[in-house]
Amino acid sequence: MAANNTDRGTSSFDFDPGPVPAPSRPVDRFGFVKQDQSGSPDELAKCKSVAEQERDGRRIRKWRKMIGVDGSDWKHYVRRKPQVVKRRIRMGIPDCLRGLVWQLISGSRDLLLMNPGVYEQLVIYETSASEMDIIRDISRTFPSHIFFQQRHGLGQRSLYNVLKAYSVYDRDVGYVQGMGFVAGLLLLYMSEEDAFWLVVALLKGAVHAPMEGLYQVGLPLVQQYLFQFEHLVKEYMPQLGEHFSEEMINPSMYGSQWFITVFSYSFPFPLVLRIWDIFLYEGIKIVFQVGLALMRCCHDDLVKLPFEKLVPALRNFPKDTLNPNMLLPLAFSFKVSKHLDELQHEYEKRNKDPIHHEGSTSKSVDHKLLDKSVMKTQSHDIEKPTFTQEKKDQG
Amino acid sequence: MATAGNSNINAKLVLLGDMGAGKSSLVLRFVKGQFLEFQESTIGAAFFSQTLALSDATVKLEIWDTAGQERYHSLAPMYYRGASAAIIAYDITNTESFERAKKWVDELQKQGNPNMVTALAGNKADLEENRKVAAEEAKAYAEVNGLFFMETSAKTAVNVNDIFYEIARRLPRAQPAQNPGGMILTNTPSEIAQSSNCCS
Repeated sequence: MAANNTDRGTSSFDFDPGPVPAPSRPVDRFGFVKQDQSGSPDELAKCKSVAEQERDGRRIRKWRKMIGVDGSDWKHYVRRKPQVVKRRIRMGIPDCLRGLVWQLISGSRDLLLMNPGVYEQLVIYETSASEMDIIRDISRTFPSHIFFQQRHGLGQRSLYNVLKAYSVYDRDVGYVQGMGFVAGLLLLYMSEEDAFWLVVALLKGAVHAPMEGLYQVGLPLVQQYLFQFEHLVKEYMPQLGEHFSEEMINPSMYGSQWFITVFSYSFPFPLVLRIWDIFLYEGIKIVFQVGLALMRCCHDDLVKLPFEKLVPALRNFPKDTLNPNMLLPLAFSFKVSKHLDELQHEYEKRNKDPIHHEGSTSKSVDHKLLDKSVMKTQSHDIEKPTFTQEKKDQG
Repeated sequence: MATAGNSNINAKLVLLGDMGAGKSSLVLRFVKGQFLEFQESTIGAAFFSQTLALSDATVKLEIWDTAGQERYHSLAPMYYRGASAAIIAYDITNTESFERAKKWVDELQKQGNPNMVTALAGNKADLEENRKVAAEEAKAYAEVNGLFFMETSAKTAVNVNDIFYEIARRLPRAQPAQNPGGMILTNTPSEIAQSSNCCS
């Protein structure tokens, strides 16, 4: 989490003047208080060999060249060599550049530049109906990370500001439990204003399909994603799909948090970061792919387990399956884009078709309708943010 | 079912209540004997199981701990449908959470299993100095609505095991006073209870 070359893009972590890390509580290299000190060497914490350090150095230089000063060459590079960019991102963005690159690939940097002063206004001058809910969750978001541990410390204040600002920015969505983990993750890599615009970019769809449906009343997009995921499991792992049906496993029992927080909740941090690198560039598809990869890794065990053992197994995967260098290549092997489109159409058709509507009064939300054109701010004198970044489509 | 012998009972229990009322803390205190001052918010739902050995039966509870925020309401029916027991938790220092608990009671009475054993838990009882909900008020409400009521503290462990054990005791006896009619219980006599827990 070293500083990158912009003042705004510098990790807020570096600014923290608070009397935080007590020497008696060792933290890992990401700032989480270590839970178990016993054996299990943290591979990433091991001292790197000279060769590894040199390789890292070359990698960072390549990335810096690709980005240019403060991101100035990025768009040009992406246009010329999209496959190179995709491949490098899949290998992991260097941690010292992560905050800046996340803002470039999510389109949030453009939003920030186009909307000067907006964030400040949302934080300082507006009030939100969600304030009490946000406060109740603040100290319960990444409680084991030193940045968020100090009561009313910089971490908690930044998190509160970002969540409050968003709840004002989109009063229909407000604050929903789960957003804190997304915002909290971002705050470990960028300033609160940058984090806010990245949340906006994701939920309003600056580059990929908007994700605000994850948090709207009825959680319509969660329902859609779970429908799609359940069908993908049946398609790729029919035996497991059948077993889930027999044991009455609903995908919501394990998967809703995957989507609601994009894996930022209760997964090992090194894996979370790698997933987020890919998620911001390639879109929500990676969440499906990682979910399928987890199922594939544990397939032979899962098909044998009865309900009461199956649910815990699906919420607590063995540590060795959560190694990003093993799990991600497996995840990429699932080519899901086309299936996801088909399943989305099927889901939309079902929700519109009264025959499939028995007993359900929930309105179907066509997530294509939630595109940029309906993007709105509800705050009177806040300018409507605009998007310029063209849509990417990496199949 | 009160005969000597060892009946094995599997029961699904759901925890409902406002965000921050202490649902997860109650379960963690009960299942693991732990308490965290800052318990991570529950996203979606969490699952635990715990086996209780009573004098006349072994009760295996499958516990669903749900996310408390109103926005997650649409996911809740999946967890309370088919449940034989529920704990509806509120925070004694927060009046709104008590109002929210009443809404859950209404919803379960309308939508839930009619024979559900339902407990009302006034949690955070250790915070007496900040109390906003009188115990008498909650007790009276519980009586009118056929719930059993306890004030609990996940922090000090007061009444935590008690509320789960009381639920377990009420489960096999299929006809508690307020709830005439049979319980829907899954009897799996062949299954040997694997109770390796502290509470057994």
